[in-house]
Amino acid sequence: MLKALTDILDDIGACILFVREVVRTAWRSPCTLESVCEQIWKVTLQSLPAPAMAGFFVGAIMTVQFTMQIKAFGALGYLGGLSTSGTVREVGPLLIAFLLSGKVGAFTSAELGTMRVTEQIDAIRCLGANPIQEIILPRFLGIIVSSFFLLAAGLFMSIFGGLLMGALFSGINPDEYLRHIPTIVSFFSIGNGLFKCLVFALILAAVCTYKGFTATGGAKGVGRAVVSTAVLTMVGIVVADWFTSLLSETALDMFWGGV
Amino acid sequence: MIEFREVRKSFGEREILKGITFSVPEGQILFILGTSGTGKSVLLKNIVGLLQPTSGAILIDEVDVSQLKEEQLFPIRKKCGMVFQHPALFDSLSVFENVAFGLRKHSPELTEKEVQARVRECLSLVHLIDVEDKMPQEISYGMQKRVSLARTVAVSPRILLFDEPTTGLDPVTTRAINRLIFELSRKLKTTSLVVSHDMQCALEIADHIIVLDKGEIVDQGSPEGLKKSRHELTKDFLKEALDAEGAH
Repeated sequence: MLKALTDILDDIGACILFVREVVRTAWRSPCTLESVCEQIWKVTLQSLPAPAMAGFFVGAIMTVQFTMQIKAFGALGYLGGLSTSGTVREVGPLLIAFLLSGKVGAFTSAELGTMRVTEQIDAIRCLGANPIQEIILPRFLGIIVSSFFLLAAGLFMSIFGGLLMGALFSGINPDEYLRHIPTIVSFFSIGNGLFKCLVFALILAAVCTYKGFTATGGAKGVGRAVVSTAVLTMVGIVVADWFTSLLSETALDMFWGGV
Repeated sequence: MIEFREVRKSFGEREILKGITFSVPEGQILFILGTSGTGKSVLLKNIVGLLQPTSGAILIDEVDVSQLKEEQLFPIRKKCGMVFQHPALFDSLSVFENVAFGLRKHSPELTEKEVQARVRECLSLVHLIDVEDKMPQEISYGMQKRVSLARTVAVSPRILLFDEPTTGLDPVTTRAINRLIFELSRKLKTTSLVVSHDMQCALEIADHIIVLDKGEIVDQGSPEGLKKSRHELTKDFLKEALDAEGAH
């Protein structure tokens, strides 16, 4: 039990040191903008349908849930605002980030892990290049930018999912649904949701590149790296969600008096 | 030119290399033979700094490279080209881009035309034509190994390190690769270290052979000298080589 705990702490520490090395490389010898754009394009194209669809259904689910709750109070008019607020602030970023950890995280980890066990990373070093600069940094930045974009796109789609379900399931017309969104969903809520997206994207990029880069032990090792990427990112995202929620509530209390 | 002085390497409690000492004069082909898991690849990776020895010194042109930092290893890696056990070609790059990769890193002053010419020259050295535009997964494993060889020689290293270059290849391709190693070493006047368990090939092309067992040098000598060896492991290797020759 104690060994398992120290192993986890060891892994987290090594991951932080790895991120420090990536940041240091970005500062001292940055990769080309072209390689980052290539990664952004690749990740976004590969993954856009999944978070868009997930976002759509998260919005729809939230609307169904809220309908059941607020119908009893005769406050169905506020459905759009409440559902969108809940999705944008909490459920949306969390669920879409989970989805991305499976899609983008697992793919990147497997790709880098395969490069490691087939000695491609050693070959890069032997050919006089820095593998962090050549293959990690473009992926790291690419994943952050595109995950943030994909999460934001998923959240945007959640409004449509909620809107459709509001009309079909709750019998509320779209105008009415949209009317109360600005009343309840403040800029702070949107900012809070986007901030969470950014933090989740950072965790995803850090864990999957670290796990892939440090994979050892052939095909089995790559499998292990992919599994631990999925587990670590999900745990990391949940913990970060709790922390960012706490942070944003505190900020809300301090600067806006809990509005 | 390359000298190992009492080199030891451990992974945790396990000692893989137990005080290795030998030297390779310039222009020679040295074969390091041993069964799997005896530390042959570890030995090779210590030369280019992919691993660092626990103790001892590795001298290349009188410079101890054993404790150099990553950025200090750049000139050493320009000097030493390594061909890996796997072809280790970059999946996302074409054959041309693979061969040009090291060239662009080591010689940024080269124009695109010069890079193209050098890539073609290196591919023809390993007897490959019309494959520049292909992706690594579109060519055979043997061809991938040759591309890997071309990529390594592209930066004109003075030392060539081969990590089991013929593992996983059929006998015909194995012979072709062995011939290539010999041709390249002589044509480019390089010092070559070949890690292998192929005694037949070692007898054909090596100037000197070292037999490694459990992290220690147990036997060494010229191919002719080793044929008279009384060491059990060397005799086993020789028997295998004779059997293989007989089969041909």
